[in-house]
Amino acid sequence: MQFFGSSEISPSPPAPTASGNYGHMMYVFNRNGVCLLYREWNRPLRTLNQQQDHKLMFGLLFSLKSLTAKMDPTSVEKGNLGVPLLPGQGCSFHSFRTNTYKLSFMESPSGIKIILVTHPRAGDLREPLKYIYNLYVEYVVKNPLYSPGTPIKSELFNTNLDQYVRGLG
Amino acid sequence: MAPPPRSGDAIFANVDRVNAELFTLTYGAIVRQLLTDLEEVDEVNKQLDQMGYNIGIRLIDEFLAKSNISTCVDFKETAEVIAKVGFKMFLGVTASVSNWDPEGTTCSIILEDNPLVDFVELPDTCQGLYYCNILSGVVRGALEMVSMKTEITWVRDMLRGDDAFELRLKLLKQVPEEYPYKDDE
Amino acid sequence: MIGVGKTKQYANVLDRPISKGKQEVSLSAFAFLFSELVQYNQTQVDNIAELERRLEDAGYAVGARVLELLCHREKGNRRETRLLGILSFVHSTVWKVLFGKVADSLEKGTEHEDEYMISEKELLVNRFISVPKDMGTFNCGAFVAGIVRGVLDGAGFPAVVTAHFVPVDGQQRPRTTILIKFAEEVLVREARLG
Repeated sequence: MQFFGSSEISPSPPAPTASGNYGHMMYVFNRNGVCLLYREWNRPLRTLNQQQDHKLMFGLLFSLKSLTAKMDPTSVEKGNLGVPLLPGQGCSFHSFRTNTYKLSFMESPSGIKIILVTHPRAGDLREPLKYIYNLYVEYVVKNPLYSPGTPIKSELFNTNLDQYVRGLG
Repeated sequence: MAPPPRSGDAIFANVDRVNAELFTLTYGAIVRQLLTDLEEVDEVNKQLDQMGYNIGIRLIDEFLAKSNISTCVDFKETAEVIAKVGFKMFLGVTASVSNWDPEGTTCSIILEDNPLVDFVELPDTCQGLYYCNILSGVVRGALEMVSMKTEITWVRDMLRGDDAFELRLKLLKQVPEEYPYKDDE
Repeated sequence: MIGVGKTKQYANVLDRPISKGKQEVSLSAFAFLFSELVQYNQTQVDNIAELERRLEDAGYAVGARVLELLCHREKGNRRETRLLGILSFVHSTVWKVLFGKVADSLEKGTEHEDEYMISEKELLVNRFISVPKDMGTFNCGAFVAGIVRGVLDGAGFPAVVTAHFVPVDGQQRPRTTILIKFAEEVLVREARLG
């Protein structure tokens, strides 16, 4: 598949950080919870079937967003827990870390959610996530043969994505 | 700290560009095709709006990605950003926002420069045609993807003798994301 | 039709000055628009040949207008009467205005006297469309072929113009060739002019 667009994808990719940003897996969801993309590079343990896994991930983030907004000590207006938020409303949660992995999250105002699970020592991945969003725009959104809201099947997107994530490590 | 949103001029200078005339003439070809196929001016208006909507729901992601906008929650702010950044980065022209109603849910976007309408004059047989109706669809589609349901109408149209193009945007409601799965798990 | 002046409001569109042709829009804007043109036409046809024909027809009207505009603006109303003249006009002037560059090449067909080819490594309209296998030889360049036909026809050089993909050794993407087959009368006239 070919793409169109500028020679330079803006913003240009940030230089890879020194710590090992070993990409384990990645999810892309749209605002309706449809999993547009699931990429796996290093996932030794799988406990659920794909569908359940996606649902769990989406549900987790949905709740986390709500919870983090509710617990925000700096914000005056707090919706009730469980009341749906607009993307971007409230504080924006962007990562959590355990002893075995780090999960980084980005949500666009249009509801596109990108989740990247990496090695726990990964640094701040907000800029890389933005770059991945740009890849999504160039290779997926701009392809007239792609219907928004359906799973992404672009070889070009996958290749560029793999290359980029590998380069982060 | 998130980087500040980029200006329309900066983005426009950095994207690939094409001659506006190719764009204008292609749009003219589309309108002409629709007039031939659909014959009824109202049908053409509807189709142009639908085409615009199809474009808007895709265009929004490019807009968000390139402009570094991280939140689109406030309608006032969003309208400003559409006018100053959106129109500039795609059409190369700046629009302005005005005529806010007291509740802040309705405003006008005004365009004086419009690359869609170079060389165009509406013949008598096409009175009632909103030649630029694709624009209203684009804005409507884009806004819907950031959770804002709007109603958009033309108030002024240079092809009908007015001195500018004016789109009236009315925010109907903001639709936050609902948890999409049924609670059966 | 004459262009629209930007800052001054004229009573009659004919009084407005012609634009200099320097204004630009983003490539994205054009790409999204062209994509809708193709998608709309896909809903109106049953087969690929018809789709190409409709795109070509859309391009034809664009070509006719481009000719008018350019003749007035660039050439001071001089009219091309020779074959090579009009071909050069298309390959250089028209291409430059529409696509920002002159066409990659202009060649005379080797097999037929009446055939000429304008080729482009990556035609603008094909840059963002990737044709699925089940659409066979469909080429969005049909739109550009229509533009060329419109220009030639308006200038008095009727021709059949089509767009083709030509695979190139060592390159993943084929190049696009616009094939121009002039009508009999054009060649007769050309021979007469010596």
